[in-house]
Amino acid sequence: MRQLGLGLAMAAAGLAMALQTANADEELPIGVIAAQSGSFVSAGNTIVGAANLAAQQINDAGGIKVGDKTYKVKLYIRDNRTDVNVTIAAARELVNDIGVKAIWGTETHDFSVSMAKITGPAKVLQFSGNSSLGAVLDDKAVAEDGWLHYAFQSEPQEWQRSGSTAKGVLSLLTPQLKSPPRHSVVFVGNDATGQYLSSHYVKALEAEGQKVDLVQYPPDTTDFSPLLTRIKGMKPDIVHFWYNGDSTLTAFPQALKLGVAPSYFLFGVDPGIYQERSLKADVPVTMSCVPVCWGSSPYPEVKQYFDKYFGLGAAKGPQSSVSLLYYDYFFWYAKALEKVGKIDDPDAVVAELLKSDYKGVVSPVPLVFNKHHQVTFATEVCMVEPNTSDQFKCAVEQPPAAPPPGDNGG
Amino acid sequence: MPMTDNSAGKTGAAPEGVRARDRLALLTADNAAVPLPAGVQAITAILLAVLLIALPWLGLGYRFLSIAITTLYTAIGLYGLGLQFGQAGIMSVGHAALMGVGAYASAILSVQLGFGFWTSLPFAMALSAIVGGVIGLPTLRVGGQHYIIITFCFCALFVVVLTNGGTFTGSATGLDVGSVTPLPGINFDKLSNNYYLVLAALFLALSATYLIGNSRYGRTLRAIRENEQLARSVGINVDLHKLGVLMVSGLFAGLAGVLQLYYLRHISPTLFGAFPSLYLALMVMLGGARYLYGPLIGAVIVNFLPEVLNLDPVDSRIAYGVCLLLVILLLPGGVGAGIKNVYCAVRGGLEKQGGGTNGRA
Repeated sequence: MRQLGLGLAMAAAGLAMALQTANADEELPIGVIAAQSGSFVSAGNTIVGAANLAAQQINDAGGIKVGDKTYKVKLYIRDNRTDVNVTIAAARELVNDIGVKAIWGTETHDFSVSMAKITGPAKVLQFSGNSSLGAVLDDKAVAEDGWLHYAFQSEPQEWQRSGSTAKGVLSLLTPQLKSPPRHSVVFVGNDATGQYLSSHYVKALEAEGQKVDLVQYPPDTTDFSPLLTRIKGMKPDIVHFWYNGDSTLTAFPQALKLGVAPSYFLFGVDPGIYQERSLKADVPVTMSCVPVCWGSSPYPEVKQYFDKYFGLGAAKGPQSSVSLLYYDYFFWYAKALEKVGKIDDPDAVVAELLKSDYKGVVSPVPLVFNKHHQVTFATEVCMVEPNTSDQFKCAVEQPPAAPPPGDNGG
Repeated sequence: MPMTDNSAGKTGAAPEGVRARDRLALLTADNAAVPLPAGVQAITAILLAVLLIALPWLGLGYRFLSIAITTLYTAIGLYGLGLQFGQAGIMSVGHAALMGVGAYASAILSVQLGFGFWTSLPFAMALSAIVGGVIGLPTLRVGGQHYIIITFCFCALFVVVLTNGGTFTGSATGLDVGSVTPLPGINFDKLSNNYYLVLAALFLALSATYLIGNSRYGRTLRAIRENEQLARSVGINVDLHKLGVLMVSGLFAGLAGVLQLYYLRHISPTLFGAFPSLYLALMVMLGGARYLYGPLIGAVIVNFLPEVLNLDPVDSRIAYGVCLLLVILLLPGGVGAGIKNVYCAVRGGLEKQGGGTNGRA
């Protein structure tokens, strides 16, 4: 009798263990490579912040149901220390040692391109925000045997963003100036991203009837006064501080002191930061966010997102809104996995992402990848009233239908 | 293992009346207090070779192996810098730009003419050597800190030219290349094969450095380093030898640059700017430019220190600064000299102990 009892108890324990194993959640390993230290930290932190929030929400909601299994997202976050060699080492580790199914990051063009040379052959999906990837995402690169077949650009094409930004800036500033603006100076950092972005933005401004001069400053410049004095001599109607919110926040006060122009545009500076730093100008100032501002959210769901994002401890920075470029794609990727029904078929997941759409936070219109693995969504542009730090007027500008003359779209 | 160690006795403090040629001989002699025995040198070389060859089999993971590759190609570049600084006494803080010349030459040949790794390698190395010689021309007129400033200017100018070079240099975005052309049965897309490729190049660099250091040419370079006027007075063509060593250094840098290019498969100007150059100078000083394994030690320290101690870039720079100060104050010959001093002290202690015991017995 005692033996029978013992046997029953053991059988029950075995059954319980078997049931537990059957119900146990499996892990879906996803990598994040971003600068958590070094000069790109402010951009890198947005990737980590977005990934943590998305993973937490997916897991809290029960995980991802793929086939007859449920997967919980397991993040493997690696700091690239703003160093391409560490980025490569981290990518090798995540792809080869850990076996992640997808990687989010990085924050800069060079790193993302080098990383794609590792993720591509390993058939690991890569979601990078860099719009400069547009320069390499072509028919050949994204073909089934192309080196960027598994890479997706989660930021819109640059000619689209430049077009919507130029239109938004001019429509907000024109009523504020004595005469319609005719002459713009684009002031930009002379690095990979700056060169790429400004090449499109100059064309977009020209398409809006502006005479445009381009002035580049060396990366890591801190004293902008010589170049700004030169710009003042050009007598521009608008100075566009284009790309790199951190540099812009250094250069803009110097421009105000020198009285360089009757109006300004600050790319990538969020109204929230403008307000927090109590910046003030006696001339109209516009600013844009990539893609929507956390300091002046146009949609309730965006506000909710940023409340949660900052609630997890993310820093409020000029580039915090960039986190949205990485957040929605977790859910879109999860949706594609559920549809495909297995996590080990990257080709099917790529095909599913290309034929599906996703309505998330970043855009009120569902996101769709084009044939070059790029998305389309609008840009928010805001204007702060002169002599105030918190009186904003914002507009969401839709991208143009086609690239402007002289812009090949790539 | 000292390649040449003159740290113990420098500056011609020779007895009065000694002829110039003899003074020169004194200066360029291996002044190490206790020269390492040939057996120790051989055992060190074998152990190091075995360790490096076995590394991919130790199961340390792809991350470790990736950083090891970075360390090795950096060390190859450092061996060039070690030759020009350690042997000839010509310091440069623009050496990354010289690596960049090789890398960009190879990338441009690949993009414009379809050259692969093996076909572009000799051209890239040759161009780096020529550029190394051209930058070296000012050394015929100026030296010391003046030449250092010139190399720094070259580095800055090189980055500006690349950044504004249009589609030819890929501007700030840079250039992309494919994989290393496979050899029969060896696909270099496999990380361990890539590692062995870089390791083979390192062995070549090590061997060349050893041979140069122990040749008549090496002794001539050391003579120039110790007293240029004296070397000139005994008939050494100082100008030719200076340019020669800078060209040899350029060859090493070109090789390192091409290996870096095909490891990353994407290059941009920022890789060859002021900071990478300063790091190279730091590494060679930390490791010890005059020691055969000094550059390798320096590359290991700088590449692995942040990894081992999980330092962010700011902490790393502080750590490097502290290390450099400590090395300057305590180990003027670098960590390589320190290791050798420890060996000599241990050996001396053991011999003394052995002798005393025997005596008492």
